[in-house]
Amino acid sequence: MAANIVVLMKQVPDNTKLRVDSALTAMPAPGGPSPVDMMMNPFDEYALETALRLKDSWGGDTTVTALSLGHDSVKALLKKAIAAGADAAFIVGETAPLDGFQRATVLAKAVQTLVPDAVLVLGGHSSLDEAGHQTAAMTAEALGWPSLSGVKLAEGDTSSLTVSRVGDGGLEQHRMTLPGVLATIKCDYELRTSNIKGVMKANKTDIPVKSLADIGVTLPSATTTLIQLSPRPAKAAGQVITADGNEDAAIDAVVAYLKAQKFA
Amino acid sequence: MTIWIVAEALSPKSVFTTIEALTPAQTLASQSGSALCGVVLADSEAAGRTVADALAVHGFAQVIVGVSPRLATYQPQVYAAALAKLIESRQPKVVLVAATSTGSDYAPRVAYKTSAGLITQAQNLAWDNGALTATKAGVAESLIMSMHSAAGKTVIVTVRPKTFEAPAANAVAASVEIVNLSLDSVASGTEFVSVTAEAATRIKLEEADVVVSGGRGLQAPENFALVEQLAEALGGAVGATRAVVDAGWRPHSEQVGQTGKTVSPKLYVALGISGAIQHLVGMRTSRTLVAINRDADAPLMKQADVAVVGDALTLVPKLIAKLKG
Repeated sequence: MAANIVVLMKQVPDNTKLRVDSALTAMPAPGGPSPVDMMMNPFDEYALETALRLKDSWGGDTTVTALSLGHDSVKALLKKAIAAGADAAFIVGETAPLDGFQRATVLAKAVQTLVPDAVLVLGGHSSLDEAGHQTAAMTAEALGWPSLSGVKLAEGDTSSLTVSRVGDGGLEQHRMTLPGVLATIKCDYELRTSNIKGVMKANKTDIPVKSLADIGVTLPSATTTLIQLSPRPAKAAGQVITADGNEDAAIDAVVAYLKAQKFA
Repeated sequence: MTIWIVAEALSPKSVFTTIEALTPAQTLASQSGSALCGVVLADSEAAGRTVADALAVHGFAQVIVGVSPRLATYQPQVYAAALAKLIESRQPKVVLVAATSTGSDYAPRVAYKTSAGLITQAQNLAWDNGALTATKAGVAESLIMSMHSAAGKTVIVTVRPKTFEAPAANAVAASVEIVNLSLDSVASGTEFVSVTAEAATRIKLEEADVVVSGGRGLQAPENFALVEQLAEALGGAVGATRAVVDAGWRPHSEQVGQTGKTVSPKLYVALGISGAIQHLVGMRTSRTLVAINRDADAPLMKQADVAVVGDALTLVPKLIAKLKG
């Protein structure tokens, strides 16, 4: 039986290119017009890598399918996933802002209709833009599947996985029966880079864009709404001490500050 | 209307975040005339009462303890079902959950199950015409998002450790209600196997009042001894930048920033860290920042309350000696 893995991927604003006085007043929709550069959500890259590692280990006819919500231009991001080793990709062309509840409803239905024999869904633990920490677990609840977040490693076969996650008391080991959902944090392995063969495959792969009607889902009403996006207030300038040749005086000043703040 | 604050008996170390959440909860309750109630999920009545007692020390006058032997180990579906059952039977308006790895893991499942709103890692909480609003950091902590919950629905709010100051101890005699939860029919596709405990003596990075971090400016991995010694002198935890974690100097568990941990200590001390945006996003909510770096124009130095322009390798031993002396 073919084992299919779905990777949820999201395009997010590239915060390294974001200036403090950014004109970003609304969250850019993935693939849509944006005043800032967009990139793949960093944690999703580890979700993809974890999927590709499981594919390597399961072998045979295992496939990895990348799934993204957003505008058509998210294709560029999904092509990168295919170049890195994913076999197929789909876009659900929903561009309106969704809350976690709506997004999970759509993603669960997309998994059920587009990849009906999926045994595992992987996603990043959190997205850089909304920092919601919720899509994977909510999608699992919508599918009625088990889930674990904070995942650093997943190994096993197509029926069950041993999963390491960062828990409150240390690194936890769980056994998960598949189908299931995992949300990855930064893992201890290197991300693979694409090669020429992968890029050529990506260029030839058609990435279908599906509407909500195509996957048979009606949006539920939102439970939360982002009403405003504002810059973080600028911090007042602090005290600058130049230590050169005056090391002891500089240290005295630091210790005085720490004492005044009751840290020493 | 009722406001709940949830604790898990399984993670006693996280109870302090529950106590911190009492601070905004008290304000919300007094603004809306709501009742405040602690909720403990426990595998036995005794374990639940222990946590209820810890909450009572900080003024929780009413505590519901949901008990089931199936809560003995962490299974997301079972924990989600336990809290969802309590929410469905009592319909609280707001449910505050600690944004620990356990709370952050099961809260989204509870929200989906109960069709409740979910606002994660909330910072400022307020009412707007009967609906809860909250701010939270977005785009990697660069921007502030104002979130609005749908009126007439329960909203689940997660709160990160150290976001709020815990209220002073104010011991009360809590009225504790034990609710036996029937979770036998709840499917769980996960089974807890084991945990590799962190050294008990070490202060957890996310929960530390003081964090001392080092970066490339320390030049060599062995110089991190200075970071450790200064952390010890200040009673804090050790952090590191992505660059030194990627170079193998320090474990990923110490990484502060975008793909590492987010910390909000009372004091953050940065040694030899220039302050790439990926690092800043992990520590910019620190209350005070002391930075030592040779480059006065480094981004982190511009953010610092006290910026010392100089060589950390020369200055830190003097600082440690002075603090110990």
